[in-house]
Amino acid sequence: MASISDRRYTRRDTVLFILCLGLSILTLFAPASWGQGIADTLRRTVLAPLVWLQTRAEEGRTSRTRFRAVVAQRDSAAYVAQFLPSLRAENERLRQLLKLSNRLNANYIPAEVLHQPHATDGRTLLLSAGSRRGVAPFNPVLAPEGLIGVVLSVTPHSSVAMTWSHPEFRVSGYTVGGNALGVVAPSADVRAAEGSLELRGVPYRDSVPLGTLVLSSGLGGVFPKGIPVGTVIGTLREEAGWERVYRLRAAANPGSAAHVLILVGNRPPDLARAFPSDSQLEAMRQDSIARVLRADSIAHAARAARAARRDSLARSSPILGGTPATSGLPPRQDSTP
Amino acid sequence: MSPQRVSRAQLTLVMLVLLVLQFYLRPRFGNARLSPDFLLIALMLFAMRSGPGAGALAGFLVGMIEDALTPARFGAGLLAHTLVGYFAAWSRAVFFADNMLVNAGFVAVGLWFRDLVVLMTSGTQGAQLLTELTVYSPLQALTTAAFALLVLVTFRSWFSIRLDA
Repeated sequence: MASISDRRYTRRDTVLFILCLGLSILTLFAPASWGQGIADTLRRTVLAPLVWLQTRAEEGRTSRTRFRAVVAQRDSAAYVAQFLPSLRAENERLRQLLKLSNRLNANYIPAEVLHQPHATDGRTLLLSAGSRRGVAPFNPVLAPEGLIGVVLSVTPHSSVAMTWSHPEFRVSGYTVGGNALGVVAPSADVRAAEGSLELRGVPYRDSVPLGTLVLSSGLGGVFPKGIPVGTVIGTLREEAGWERVYRLRAAANPGSAAHVLILVGNRPPDLARAFPSDSQLEAMRQDSIARVLRADSIAHAARAARAARRDSLARSSPILGGTPATSGLPPRQDSTP
Repeated sequence: MSPQRVSRAQLTLVMLVLLVLQFYLRPRFGNARLSPDFLLIALMLFAMRSGPGAGALAGFLVGMIEDALTPARFGAGLLAHTLVGYFAAWSRAVFFADNMLVNAGFVAVGLWFRDLVVLMTSGTQGAQLLTELTVYSPLQALTTAAFALLVLVTFRSWFSIRLDA
């Protein structure tokens, strides 16, 4: 038989459990803005030191990774440099091509993604930049491959981005050919694997071939025009002859993004040039190779000319053990008897 | 200072160390979905040495931290961690919870159950739900349980206390 103290203990536990459970369920079904407000307040106050700590850790990890990558690149380049100097220059050029930040004609803020060990981590991302650095709600978030999402809420030192995998995410998109316009949303198909998007609202008469790139259209004023959203990989369904819904493979993966760029200030009208297509990149690469080869051949010719000059001087100078030039005339003979 | 008070202080110290590890060491592991969840280890170790009420309250607080940092669906983490904390405290009475391997096993089960509740309440469906529950969650449960075992071995004597005694 339980004693009085045991019964009190059990009652207290039950009351605490029911209280916590009730509050949890209340917040779960409360309006999203309430939860957002609580989360922002917590991040701004109690959790600020922890977010700061994680930001430092993330920077430390990426700095170490970058350092290792740079050392590896240097070693590779040094090895290759012994054989083909042009390859090193080409690699450098390619690395430059991949730097999205150099191509963006807009104001942006780089931020680190502070991933959490939660199963829903990819839906919203905690970013290391906040309102102190100019981030505001509805700023687009980009990766070098394409669109990641949009800033949802901001605190002075951090912000939360809603990624394209969030069920409430929408972006107006169009195909590169310009023949189809629709709304891109995360796939609601239960068979769809993680990372699947769909292009909805495409008129039935507008068929889109597989492999077509879908870009943001700029409608709505949140996302600038021309950001890659995904590539068409199939038809998901057809709505009774009036609409086709296409499945897209997303251009950028929020789950693996370590760094992102947040567009701030006035949005540029078109960002398509910041994301060159594969063929354009190939053309730029070929152009780079041709230029490097030309530079190499000129340098080679210059080296050969210098060597020839040195050789010629060595042969003609008596000081260096050579014989003076004879100007092609036979040696003069003494004609005195 | 009484032994009980010393033990509580030591336990608090371990919890603080786990909190710091969560935000300073875990980001350095790379993949966030596979790296150990130190906050969950702290919750499980605390709840299994406390009463169900204290376990539920600790779970509520941990859930609030998780939801504030990953607000995909605010309240999902609160509910999941509250349940995990409560059941972890009750499980001590059912199982032989002084065994370190059993403790580590509880941590693994707790993490998987937490993910199940979070995914279900945040509306995840289909292939993604299946992938999360059959691939990522078990792998993270294994890494988390391994670290929990490491913590238990390192602080074996400190974790021999029962807070509700």
